[in-house]
Amino acid sequence: MKILWNRLSSALLVLFAASFVTFTLARVIPSDPSLAYIGPKATAADAAQLRITLGLDQPIPVQYIKYLGETLHGNWGYSLSTKQPVLQEIIDRLPATLELVFFAMSFALICGVAMGVYAAKYRGRIQDSIIRILAIAGVSMPAFWLGLLLQMLFAGRLTWFPATGQFDIDLKYDNPITKITGFPIFDSIVTGNFAATVNGLHHMVLPALTLSAYSFGLISRMARANLLEVMSQDYIKVARAYGLSERIVFFKLALRNALPPIVTITGLSTAYLITGTFFVEQVYNWPGIGSFAVNSLISIDYPAIMGITLLAAIGYLVINFIVDLIHAKLDPRVWMR
Amino acid sequence: MSFLFKDKLTGTATVMMLIFIVAAIFGPWISPNAKEGAGATNVDNSYIGPGWQHLLGTDELGRDLLSRIIYGARPALLIALAVVGFAAIIGTLLGLIAGYAGGWIDNLIMRVSELFLSFPPLLLSLVAVTFLGPGLINALIALIISWWPWYARLIRVEASIIKSKPYVEISAAMGVPDRIIILRHILRNVTTPLIVQIAADLGTVILAAGSLAFIGLGAQPPSADWGLMVAQGRNLIFDQWWISTFSGLAIFLAVLSFNIIGDALRDHFDPRIARQ
Amino acid sequence: MSIKTAFSSRRVRLVAVTSTALLVFASLSVPNAAHAASVFKVATSAAVTTWDPVQSFSTEAFYMTNIYEPLLWKNADGISPEYSPALATSWSASKDGKTWTFKLRAGATFHDGSAVNAAAVKASLESSKKVGGAGFIWDALKTVDAPSDDTVILNLSYAAPMDLIASSTYGAYIVNPKALAAVAADSKYYESGKDGGSGPYTISSYKSGSSVVLTAYAKHWASEKPAYSTIDISIVPDGITAQQMMTSGQVDWSTNIPLTSLTSLKRNSKYSVIKYKSPFNYVGYFNTLRAPLNNPAVRQALSMALNYREITAVGGQGYATQARGPVPAGIYPYDVATPQYVMSREKAKALLAKAGVKDLTIKITYASENSAEARFVPLIKDAFEAIGVKAEVQGILFNQQWAAAKKDPANAQDLFIVKYWPTYSDAGVDNLWSLFHSSAKPFFNLSYWKNTTYDKLIDEATELSGSDKAAAQKLYSQAMLLLYKEAPGIYLYDEAQVSVVPKKFSIPKYNINYPFSAFFAGVKLA
Repeated sequence: MKILWNRLSSALLVLFAASFVTFTLARVIPSDPSLAYIGPKATAADAAQLRITLGLDQPIPVQYIKYLGETLHGNWGYSLSTKQPVLQEIIDRLPATLELVFFAMSFALICGVAMGVYAAKYRGRIQDSIIRILAIAGVSMPAFWLGLLLQMLFAGRLTWFPATGQFDIDLKYDNPITKITGFPIFDSIVTGNFAATVNGLHHMVLPALTLSAYSFGLISRMARANLLEVMSQDYIKVARAYGLSERIVFFKLALRNALPPIVTITGLSTAYLITGTFFVEQVYNWPGIGSFAVNSLISIDYPAIMGITLLAAIGYLVINFIVDLIHAKLDPRVWMR
Repeated sequence: MSFLFKDKLTGTATVMMLIFIVAAIFGPWISPNAKEGAGATNVDNSYIGPGWQHLLGTDELGRDLLSRIIYGARPALLIALAVVGFAAIIGTLLGLIAGYAGGWIDNLIMRVSELFLSFPPLLLSLVAVTFLGPGLINALIALIISWWPWYARLIRVEASIIKSKPYVEISAAMGVPDRIIILRHILRNVTTPLIVQIAADLGTVILAAGSLAFIGLGAQPPSADWGLMVAQGRNLIFDQWWISTFSGLAIFLAVLSFNIIGDALRDHFDPRIARQ
Repeated sequence: MSIKTAFSSRRVRLVAVTSTALLVFASLSVPNAAHAASVFKVATSAAVTTWDPVQSFSTEAFYMTNIYEPLLWKNADGISPEYSPALATSWSASKDGKTWTFKLRAGATFHDGSAVNAAAVKASLESSKKVGGAGFIWDALKTVDAPSDDTVILNLSYAAPMDLIASSTYGAYIVNPKALAAVAADSKYYESGKDGGSGPYTISSYKSGSSVVLTAYAKHWASEKPAYSTIDISIVPDGITAQQMMTSGQVDWSTNIPLTSLTSLKRNSKYSVIKYKSPFNYVGYFNTLRAPLNNPAVRQALSMALNYREITAVGGQGYATQARGPVPAGIYPYDVATPQYVMSREKAKALLAKAGVKDLTIKITYASENSAEARFVPLIKDAFEAIGVKAEVQGILFNQQWAAAKKDPANAQDLFIVKYWPTYSDAGVDNLWSLFHSSAKPFFNLSYWKNTTYDKLIDEATELSGSDKAAAQKLYSQAMLLLYKEAPGIYLYDEAQVSVVPKKFSIPKYNINYPFSAFFAGVKLA
């Protein structure tokens, strides 16, 4: 328990400091943020008035304390470019990104572990080489480039998949999804709207594949390396000597012990996925946090940027926390460190 | 050095990396069209597809794409070296100070590192370069800001382990000044993981810099930056596909070769992990 | 239980399942069956800066002209008469041009059912003049009288063409007084997607940054109802994505097709590529405060270095023509007799040598979000380097580019590239005045140029344009000649507007007076 409390408190401290860092960075903006709010032909007087309205004329520490208080109350400011509350924008867009991340991560995990194990089993042979090359290619590939290639090939030339968007626009009118949890594919399954599910999955394939490449690479490399290390341990030799079948040795002993680092690497790669979504969502016009983040960065929409950074830091901490918990469950030795 | 050619994959990667290094250093001499590589336009030649005249085709301003890609090797490698170099130096210094001094200095430096590491990688760079303004130098600074904590932490762990080793205490008893002992031992022990980390990071930095440029926050036109060229070719992806495809391929191959070599280095120095 | 799941067959199963799934999904790429026949789907890049019709001064004009109406519309080029009645059915001016009377349409209502009457018009115009984003267009307006429900009288302080001004694309909408009151109380009243308009469509849903859905207003006064009762607009910032959405059938029409795709789209028999005159042009300002750019000879030399043909070709991709001064072709007071520079680099080098210019570096800024500028600015850099002048290019977001130029003229850029267009179809009052008339604090005169002769010419001409257009034209032409000789800026090219329309639809012609707008009420199957 004490370990948990320590982790939590340091996590909170980090969050505070993170928010301060972003907030301070935001003060160095070269342009006058009020301009994005009004439009290209605003007068200097309007802009000056707006600075006062937005509170930009107060000293920095005062602004920061105000910002902290408001953030904790759920007021994350208004996006300068969309005029909507930042928290609302984030909540509206989070489900789309989370679903994408879920599918990408699932694919990366399943394929990564499967291929890593396969490669370990056939170590030294051609299957091993191919998988190793695939894996290292996965971590070397620029996500935006892979996305463009897949888009051009499978959507442009072959037209097997749609090039952009989360659903066909027609779906809104022909088979609208009843909102229950806010996660569209999940809601469509739960409400029996299978036309929507299929359409959503159809749109999901290319972006999820693109996003999963990096994690797939990490996970399969880790799975293979780990399994190899575990398989060379003494207790495996002992188990074999006792006559346990290869299947049991492999699945019940080796894999089980090789899992914890895989869990860790999954957590780490989910963090990479967070910034990966920036590029994938931009290329595929996916209505999630990633594309919102890129637009906010490009238009220097500092309330939105601060909100997204805070969200990312929170998310990163939560993921690492969960990973630690799972790791501890799988490997009780961790408690003794 | 022979481990760089231990198998076909690593050998190929080494050759690729050498090609990129040669391109970076000798770009102007080996480009089919050096002036266009540097940025001179040739509008009447726009949008020519790959062929004998232009192996990789031409871009929207008629410049030979192969020359542009060769010219792009220099900024790519320079950024990688600069970011990793500065991050390693800054991180090592801070890590040494933290590990050696201990106490509140150690705490402060480590807390600050943790703070920077609490953000998903690349996010901090994106935010920093947004506020600093787009451009190559700012991208460089933003990336260094994100990278130094890794090195600080790596070095600090080594430093604090060494500090408490018996032979350090014995040397101290024999009158050898603390600093020299620690420096010597630490640096000796730290060199290997440092090299491995640097090799791994070079590829990652090229990828990160390319990503920044793709969004528009890195190098600006008319520089021959690979990420920028992918972005510029994006609007043409369905018809004039070669611009984005080959520019992105350059990034991919560069990062791939650095990653493979990084792997080989790690295997060479750390044979614990049984490999082929 | 025997362990049937041998390792290898498990793998085989996994592979089999995955590939079957992929094949199933691939086969589902059958184009969608008939959608609701009354939905017209559009993709555009037009972002919504604000839904406030009085404050509106940006790309949201794309939607606004369907939701709101002015007193009258100015018709597209080539259509006679010049104006169409909207909320006013007739109008006239007094002899001295200082009093305009508008007769309002009977039976026009706002979307909440309340009548469009003189009181509403008075409130709208006064609000626009006071706080409007484009409030300056009402500069001549002194007071508004509403003697009866269907009559509005505009009293001006000087003669001005109120028919032209009241048809402006910004600042001239008639707004429901209830909405005007609501936004006065809460400045964010409109932003969730509320509207106070009277037009043929109303906002039925708005997801910021992603979609706008308009539904037809049943009680609109027009006798012909729109063919499409629902317009579904996806906001897509990338031109190539919008294009792909149209060619793959995701949407019916996309409005921001990249110019670079037009060659291949022209070959596609499903689409017509139509070229229209537009009020957009590209100009650049020299920083006339900074030596040696304060010397007209140096500016002329730089103007002569440019390869206008190439810049026009690369920027406009075949849909642009070299500009004659800052007034776009086809907009008053364009004068085809205005001279334009041609590339003559030897002369340029000679001029520079004579002016004693050595080691000059020019800092060029342009809007990074503008793909045309990103394409042709490298050519400007090349041109300057060809005459021995070094150039640094900096692409930054327009808002930042503009803010930096306004803040500190002495240390700002040396050459500011901008895409410009007049707020209403008078480029004398707008372009010639805004871009080059001297002003104490720079707004759009980002050459910071102060020339009293030019100022006088423009001031006189604007006064006259309300009453004696011909005389005003003469003065404007002299002013444009001065702009050529003194070269405070470079005049690059006039850009055409290109519409890619699927042949199965009939879409209203592009109206140069509403350059950002699409009129959906007129869309129907061809």
